[in-house]
Amino acid sequence: MSHTPFILAAYLISAVVLFWAAIAPIVNKRSLLRQLKNRQARMDKSQ
Amino acid sequence: MNPIFLFFHKTGSPPWFYKYSGKLIPWLWAIFLVLTAYGLYLGLVVAPADYQQGESVRIMYLHVPTAWMSMMIYGLMAIMGFIALVWRIRIMEVLVISSAPVGAAFTMIALITGSLWGRPTWGTYWVWDARLTSELVLLFLYFGVIALYNAFDEPRKAARAASLMSIVGAINLPIIYFSVEWWNTLHQGSSMGSSGTGIHPSMLLPLLLMATATKFYYGANLLSRARLTLLKQDHRKRWVQDVLSKESH
Repeated sequence: MSHTPFILAAYLISAVVLFWAAIAPIVNKRSLLRQLKNRQARMDKSQ
Repeated sequence: MNPIFLFFHKTGSPPWFYKYSGKLIPWLWAIFLVLTAYGLYLGLVVAPADYQQGESVRIMYLHVPTAWMSMMIYGLMAIMGFIALVWRIRIMEVLVISSAPVGAAFTMIALITGSLWGRPTWGTYWVWDARLTSELVLLFLYFGVIALYNAFDEPRKAARAASLMSIVGAINLPIIYFSVEWWNTLHQGSSMGSSGTGIHPSMLLPLLLMATATKFYYGANLLSRARLTLLKQDHRKRWVQDVLSKESH
């Protein structure tokens, strides 16, 4: 049995999980900052 | 004020934590990338195949460090949870809840890579032996901490509940560690211990490099998540408004 597919799958899946876990807070932070900025703009407009 | 107390007082302040952790994160990522690149080069190119496991031993350079991290992070969560509950330090609550997704990611990788190593080596992807089952329980504990935190509307109450669950769940850590001694398991015993290791240096070095790299990954990811959690919890406070005006320019 060739071990290569198992090794490739292990490294590929790990890379995807680690990349996703690393990128999630960055994406969420951008989205949060955008939301807060929009809310601030709405509040400034209403005053 | 005593310099040690002053340090903890400053570190516990969200604006201070947000500012200085932001400066630290790029360095942690850079060290992680350098160590990972060198560790992967040694593990995938330089290190020889194992005389019993063959080429599948290369999965160990991922599996072992991530399995160590899965236990270490939960242990840290229990310690930080204890500090958060006893001394009511909010940063500790934030660090507990920010650690859980990173720990879950490492546990998931440890289980998947272990399974992919098991198929060519043991002839099966999965067996319900004590080590594998207790590691799966650890993954459910991480999910439990995350779910519990999200089940509350009030973030501090949620973080305290998650801290308490982290402490209670820590009972699983010695079970995972000693499972290979307490029960007859298909999973082999530890190759590294207080009496040293039988691993050849050509395999030990990439293993240790990858193990060190994962610590830096955890540090960088934890701080990123903690900063996000602080922004979410404090979004009405002045310091977040200042951050918002600075980061939007």
